Amino acid sequence: MNPAFVAILYAPGTNCHEETAAAVERAGGRAELVLLYDLAAGQTRLESFQAAIIPGGFSYGDHLGAGRVFGALLVAELAGQLHKFLDSGKPLLGICNGFQVLVEAGILPSRSMGQRDMALVDNQSAHFEDRKVRLLVSSARCVWTEGLVGTILEMPSAHGEGRPLFPNAKSLPAKHVALRFADRSGRPTDAYPDNPNGAAGGVAGVVDSKGLVLGLMPHPERASLPAHYSQDGLKIFQNLANWLDRRAFATQTSA
Amino acid sequence: MPIQRIYTCSRDDAEARSWLAFLRRRGFPQLSDLTIERVVWLEGSFDANRLMPLFVNPVYQTAAPASALDPAKGPIVEIGYRPAVTDPETPSILTAARALGENGIQWARLTKRYQFFGVDDREARALAGRFLFNKIVQRILSPNESVRALRPAGEPDPVTTVSLSELSDAELAQLSARRSWYAPVSQMRVIQAREAIRGRPHTDAEIEILIQSWSDHCYHTTWKSLGLLKKLSEATARIDHPLVISSFKDNAGGLEFYEDWAITLKGETHNFPSSIAPFGGVATKHGGVIRDTLGFGKGAYPIGGTTVMGTMDPLMPEDEVPRGSLHPQLILSESVRATSYYVNPMGIPMMHALYRKHPGYAKCLALGHSVGLIPKQYALKDDPRPGDLALLVGGETGRDGIHGATASSTQMTTETLEKESAAVQIGHPITERRFTSAIPALRDAGCIRSISDLGAGGISCAAGEMGAETGVRLNLDAAPLKDRSLTAWEILLSESQERMLIAVPLAKLAEAQAILNRYEVNYASIGEFTNSGRLEAFWRGEKVVDLEMSFLWGACPIDPLPLSEPSRKLNPLCIPEPVTHEDWSGAFHSVLGHYHCSDQSAAGARFDSTVQGRTSVGPYGGKNHQMPSGFFAGAPLRGKNYGFITTLAINPFYGEIDPAVMAKLMMIEAVTKAVAAGASYRELALCDNFYTPPARPEVAWNLTRMVETIADFSVELGIPFISGKDSSSGTFEMAGRRIDAPLTLAITTLGRVPDVTRLVTKDFKHAGNQLLLVGHSDPDTLGGSVYADTRGQRGDRLCDAYTASSIRDVWDALLELHSHSGYVSASAIGEGGLALRLFEAAYGSGLGARIDFEAFERVLPTPTKRPGARRDGLVFGEFIGSVLIEVSAGFDLTDSLQSVPYVILGEVITEGHLILTDGAKTLWQEEVAVLAEIWSRTFREALE
Repeated sequence: MNPAFVAILYAPGTNCHEETAAAVERAGGRAELVLLYDLAAGQTRLESFQAAIIPGGFSYGDHLGAGRVFGALLVAELAGQLHKFLDSGKPLLGICNGFQVLVEAGILPSRSMGQRDMALVDNQSAHFEDRKVRLLVSSARCVWTEGLVGTILEMPSAHGEGRPLFPNAKSLPAKHVALRFADRSGRPTDAYPDNPNGAAGGVAGVVDSKGLVLGLMPHPERASLPAHYSQDGLKIFQNLANWLDRRAFATQTSA
Repeated sequence: MPIQRIYTCSRDDAEARSWLAFLRRRGFPQLSDLTIERVVWLEGSFDANRLMPLFVNPVYQTAAPASALDPAKGPIVEIGYRPAVTDPETPSILTAARALGENGIQWARLTKRYQFFGVDDREARALAGRFLFNKIVQRILSPNESVRALRPAGEPDPVTTVSLSELSDAELAQLSARRSWYAPVSQMRVIQAREAIRGRPHTDAEIEILIQSWSDHCYHTTWKSLGLLKKLSEATARIDHPLVISSFKDNAGGLEFYEDWAITLKGETHNFPSSIAPFGGVATKHGGVIRDTLGFGKGAYPIGGTTVMGTMDPLMPEDEVPRGSLHPQLILSESVRATSYYVNPMGIPMMHALYRKHPGYAKCLALGHSVGLIPKQYALKDDPRPGDLALLVGGETGRDGIHGATASSTQMTTETLEKESAAVQIGHPITERRFTSAIPALRDAGCIRSISDLGAGGISCAAGEMGAETGVRLNLDAAPLKDRSLTAWEILLSESQERMLIAVPLAKLAEAQAILNRYEVNYASIGEFTNSGRLEAFWRGEKVVDLEMSFLWGACPIDPLPLSEPSRKLNPLCIPEPVTHEDWSGAFHSVLGHYHCSDQSAAGARFDSTVQGRTSVGPYGGKNHQMPSGFFAGAPLRGKNYGFITTLAINPFYGEIDPAVMAKLMMIEAVTKAVAAGASYRELALCDNFYTPPARPEVAWNLTRMVETIADFSVELGIPFISGKDSSSGTFEMAGRRIDAPLTLAITTLGRVPDVTRLVTKDFKHAGNQLLLVGHSDPDTLGGSVYADTRGQRGDRLCDAYTASSIRDVWDALLELHSHSGYVSASAIGEGGLALRLFEAAYGSGLGARIDFEAFERVLPTPTKRPGARRDGLVFGEFIGSVLIEVSAGFDLTDSLQSVPYVILGEVITEGHLILTDGAKTLWQEEVAVLAEIWSRTFREALE
């Protein structure tokens, strides 16, 4: 059986791919760095991976809007592969800029590729916010946060465009909210700087209705080692590793 | 080609809201609203509708072929970059448009249209000119401007020759000024003599290269004349430190790390461009020093950075700002914006962000550092070999930064703001980020024989230095240009950012190209290394440069600089000692609220401190993650606890009292900060960054004393300098008045620690623990302190308490104690004295402290034990080298601390208060939360 490789999909301007790969490996997964260029050139295919993560950074300089160019390129060049990947029930995670990319590609929250129904806009402060945040895990179905419902995860957050907006100023149905910024007492908060970007309802992580695609603004990979101030982020990658193990086991037994 | 405009609007524009609030605070309270419309200008033939997904997310943006703003409702100001400046977004737009199938798009530009409500046209232009754009790189578009082409075009000037023969000294000086060379006459004479020997005049390109290569910025003529570069490198050679891999030779210094890795350090100032165009200047400051890391050995990877800015008081009244200088508030806020703009996309964690003020920083201080990581086997460059290709990597070459090196070597005048406009540009971090990813891949594949960044002097300097031992032949027609009208010398001298020059073995070219293609990095082979011993360049079929390397790098005359000991007019401090509770409160409030001591996280929290996943102790720590840590530590090797640590010390006040002592104290402060955390001083190296006025005899005397002091002291301590940089241009001149920068020296340490999780932070850990001050304390040395500055005084005595051997005793005692986990919190005393450290440690922990003067005074050295020793001196004195530590109540200290002075000051308390007592009597007590409010206000008000 092929090892369950996790694709860390990156593009020019992505700058968190190495630590994300390291966090996957520390959690027991196997990560492979995959350049968007290689995918577009047909050097490798998304289907050959069991899961994928789009890491943080400033892909294409965040020009025209964070994640905008990368998202447009995904739709223009890889829509077929992405559909196949998602339809086969594989998990996909977007961290920070990766979340912005998934939103700009229309994949989050409703898997409507090429059709955007969400935006991540400038923080309310109108500048980049480098903070340590607490995330309250909500009860939305999500393979990445399984078993963590109701717990607080501490990890760094660092972005300039992380405030969710939805069409017609509506809010997001609860089943899509995976994570919320929380205050010191563990309650969801709109207050700065515990909520560094001004997200309404403290929304910090969004999941699709199948519970497979998660996007979050904070950085779990930066809280995954003994040398870090927190190792809470590792739990998200451990969930991935566990899911991949279970899936491998299921495939094996059915075969 | 036809040009189309697309006007986009956002229904939720935080940037517009933020500007509105800012402008209302900054003198335009009548401004009632502000709207920003963003315009994309596209040239070529294409279907704009197919590009719409790029320009709008329909959830919050709309687009239209015409402006949605109604001019009747309020004045509109449209701002864009000047034609010669490339918009950072242009390459991304072109890439994405082509991916969407629109190949007919030729060029793109962006502008912003600001509509103001509640102000008239004149006020709108005034506020735009003051806050929203910088005329050096940007312009206001006129309402009916007809734009025929977006991409700069035109024909280059032909190459000319410039004969110096028979010109008198006065005529040489005139020519030098007219051409913006700023070259001393002695250099002009050497070129003149050379012309006679060659029997033909130099081309403009040749003279430009010579002048540029011999500028103070590139050739360090001031320092060479004073023999200072040699002093530091000789000191390092004498120390012969086993961890030093590379010092003063390469673009950065290198230190052995663990497991076959090396770490690197470099600091650079970028003062002149940052003074006249702070956004572009500071952005390119970061870009440049990061490229020094990339250009170390065969290419190191940047893993940490700093930013240090010195300005005049950001809150100074508008009419006191020297004419020709930007308002310091603007320099501050634009510099913060620029650091965020450049460093965050580079994905490099911010280690230290420091902001200082001094009335002498009319030409601001703009310093940045970069720390790198590299496999040890690649830490030393090879010399290029004849036949190796010169590969130019990164951005296109434009008319940016022409004469940047010579301009930054000279003093700033009211005219420089206008005249040297080309010396500043906007950085494009995405371009640098692309090759930052590609360089380690190139290096590991054996494609890099040698590598250097392009900075001052551009292609000519990088190729000339790399090929100094061999020779190099350049084909300028191969250089990708932003602007086809560049002539030969401009291509050679352009300081366009985000470029590297790599010597690639011919056999490795195909592999190098494949790697660069995958990382989407632009490149061009612009020549080859030869064995001619000459720098040659061809352009449009003509040989435009033919210089002997031996002349280029060996003939620069070094003018002798006279020295003269300055007389110092120092006044003793005259500060009444606090007596009442109110007196103490006032003193604490003014010190904690002083710009240098205050909470600077309003800037610092805009810079990513955890990217790369290596950060162990970031710039802000404690329980609330808002306490300044005082050091940065990371674990660069993934999955390992091996750590690197950096600290920084800078003080613009001490040098006014005694520059040499200041220099020594900066070394002690920087090292002590690392040692207090638990890092061995035996595994540290140093970087020096000087910023001084041009070397008039008095300045030259001071500078020499400073450099001699740190060189000698480094030998005595056994701690080597591995890199550094000098800028001798810290003067601003206007209408007969000269403003000199304070003699400034920033010392940075870089060291390694075996286990980064064992480092000790500043925040208090447990109530009931004892607080000790380890080291000397002299209450009568408030000179140069923040406390004195809050009273508008400087004083006449610095706290110069240590010799090399006595400070090593303190460090050894601390390290011994640390090895037994003897202390649980620690912080080195610096600006703001004990007061600031007690406050920070309490603030970061939620605990408090009680300090008893009686205990303190029991152990003071005899001369100060007299009745009436200043108690404010104990609390606010800056006892550089001494350390506040927290020790468990029952811990036996006698063994570790027997050879050093120390005093048990008091204890950590549960209550979040700071308390000063005299035995049983409470002199002063205040809530930490109240102090925090004052501490956090100053800088925020200056910035926002």
